[in-house]
Amino acid sequence: MSIHRALAITRKEFRHILRDPRTFFLVAMSPAFLLFLLSHIFAFDVEQVDLALLDMDRTPLSRRYVAALTADGDLRIRAQVASLDEMDRLLAAGEVDAGLVIPPGFEADVQAGRPAQVQVALDGADPIAASQTAAALEQRTAAFAIRREPAAARGVEGLDLRIVVRYNPTLKSLMSMVPGLGAIVLSMPALGLALALAREKETGSFEGLIATPVRGAEYLLGKTAAYLISGLLGVVLAWLVAVLYFRVPFRGDLLAYLILAADYLLAGMGFSLFIANFTRSQQTTMLLVLTVFFAPSFFIAGLIAPVDIRDLVSRLIAYSLPATHFITISRSVFLKGLGIGDLWLPALMLLGMGTGGLIVSLLLFRKKLG
Amino acid sequence: MPFRVWNLVWKEIIQFARDRLMTAFIFTLPLIQLALLAQATERRIGDLKVVVLDQDRSAVTRALISDLDNREELAVHYYVDDLEQLQTLLDQGKVDAGVVFPRGLARDLADPARAPQVQVLIDGSNAVVGGIASGAVSAVFSQYEQEQLQARGLATAPPIDLRITTYYNPTYNTRYFAIPAQVGFIIYQITLAVASLGLARERELGTLEQLIVTPLSRLELVLGKAIPAFIIGVVNFIFLLGVTVHVFGVPMRGSVLLLLFLTLPFIVAEIGWGVLISAGARTQQQAILLVFILAMVDISFSGFLVPVKNLPGVLQWVAQAVPMYHYLVIIRSVMLKGATLSILWPHAVALFGLAGAILSISVRGVSRRLD
Repeated sequence: MSIHRALAITRKEFRHILRDPRTFFLVAMSPAFLLFLLSHIFAFDVEQVDLALLDMDRTPLSRRYVAALTADGDLRIRAQVASLDEMDRLLAAGEVDAGLVIPPGFEADVQAGRPAQVQVALDGADPIAASQTAAALEQRTAAFAIRREPAAARGVEGLDLRIVVRYNPTLKSLMSMVPGLGAIVLSMPALGLALALAREKETGSFEGLIATPVRGAEYLLGKTAAYLISGLLGVVLAWLVAVLYFRVPFRGDLLAYLILAADYLLAGMGFSLFIANFTRSQQTTMLLVLTVFFAPSFFIAGLIAPVDIRDLVSRLIAYSLPATHFITISRSVFLKGLGIGDLWLPALMLLGMGTGGLIVSLLLFRKKLG
Repeated sequence: MPFRVWNLVWKEIIQFARDRLMTAFIFTLPLIQLALLAQATERRIGDLKVVVLDQDRSAVTRALISDLDNREELAVHYYVDDLEQLQTLLDQGKVDAGVVFPRGLARDLADPARAPQVQVLIDGSNAVVGGIASGAVSAVFSQYEQEQLQARGLATAPPIDLRITTYYNPTYNTRYFAIPAQVGFIIYQITLAVASLGLARERELGTLEQLIVTPLSRLELVLGKAIPAFIIGVVNFIFLLGVTVHVFGVPMRGSVLLLLFLTLPFIVAEIGWGVLISAGARTQQQAILLVFILAMVDISFSGFLVPVKNLPGVLQWVAQAVPMYHYLVIIRSVMLKGATLSILWPHAVALFGLAGAILSISVRGVSRRLD
């Protein structure tokens, strides 16, 4: 193992990255570009729920009830329907998220002191949205029933519930999505490394390397170093987009963030090095990265829905993805201002993945053909 | 002409078969991805972790704590003795919400002159989780208040009895939502991965010139590259649909034939993108870069993670041009809602239109790039 030769490989790889502007883009600039692009889509908070209303009572009270439900604009009446069939059709077509049926005699029941039934038909196809809609309707209905009673008549003040949201007081999705998406877009440098390793085998330039005195460890470490350093440039650019353009508060320490991000890049590269032992073409590499690394990171690493901690297998799958750990890290450093000391566990997991992949690929690496 | 195309298709298939790892992957990786995602998809977002600081320790707080714990979205995980501990748990991400019951809560609640304050701290670092937690906690307290008013006979009017029926997916099974969408994503990836590299690889390895000097027309060249990708896409779709219904138990309430029929334009549209990328890229690496960017944009616009109707006007229009958006509506509606063409026709028309448009752009693009 010669540091000198490893550095020569790093230099060669740098020249390669810089010579082709598209490769440079892939490794260093695409994270910032993608973060800019994707965050716009994930930044919208108006979680509007569309309702179809079938009001068979048509009384002042039923109108007041509907007005109370829709007062803040989160729930809105998309269609007034005349029959249950029409409501079912709108639900099936996905034009409304829920149907609200106020039966005849609603006002009369309430005034007579009988419980008045209101029926809600929810579209459960999107369960997250459906449970949010259900909670919103329940809460507003309960509040309406209480508000109807003047405080004096009730003789009680009731509870004063103060909800304080920490770290992201207005629950803006932008604030939590930008640091989270950072983990997704920073998988690009690892993809760059995996493709570079596969390309040398595919186009035959690997044969040229075999003829040189470069050893396996020098070759792999030299290449990884070049992509790690270019990737860190990508981290800095993505961080600038998050802080300057999206104005996400950065409450942590930038140096700590860079160290943790390097740790994450290393973990992704451990995966790249591992699969490079087996693949012989860029196409196979791409397919592997897409299916077992990239897509799961997007969907199950806790970007939106939290990791299911109740199920051991799903926990194992999620925690074996580097992105799961870095989403936690990125959000914690950005929004909570935590440091490496608080985040030692996910940081250690990432380090383990990175060095593990490196060690396995050093052991398996063969400088030979076929 | 058909004969020449089949020769090219046959050449592609032989090439695939020679890369044994690729041949194995093309049919096993989709399954692995589906299994991974299905396994890790939550059945229902629930049991968000709650920490309680109970300074009152009364019957009232005990009842409220058990109400919180009984709420499906929440689970009381920790009891702490001071605010600092609660703060630490929240900082470390060990809990999603903290509830503080002040001393004298039960006494103050009985006194009409006082309104005791209950403080709730929510971790907003994941806005979705924060929203669910805060909604669930407020619902628990509203209901408690209402019950109390009734029990004391203070509420002259009875409550409104809200009966919620959930259609299509009454158990809120997240898998029913996620797996059909994943089938769409996987078909998308596999066809794009195959189609996008065909021409780029020939160019990178220097064999494209040889193909250009053969009597193959540009259209034949495109078809020769597209047909293997199409076959791979369709075979994978049928396979994955079978697994989705029979292994993961996602209901198939609509017509399988209708779904298959509407899957074809989706595959064609993605192959069109793939061939266009393949013709435009000089190296495979560039092609792959473009595929990843396209994939991220398509996933974002697909309506899977963010409902399209929540996007502002302009972006909603962009979403209309994304085949994945229409396809996800279709596959979910057919499988879960048993929707028929009479309901789905706008999406079906859009999908066919997009497939035709993308394919013709791609044939034209290929001709320009190769001449």
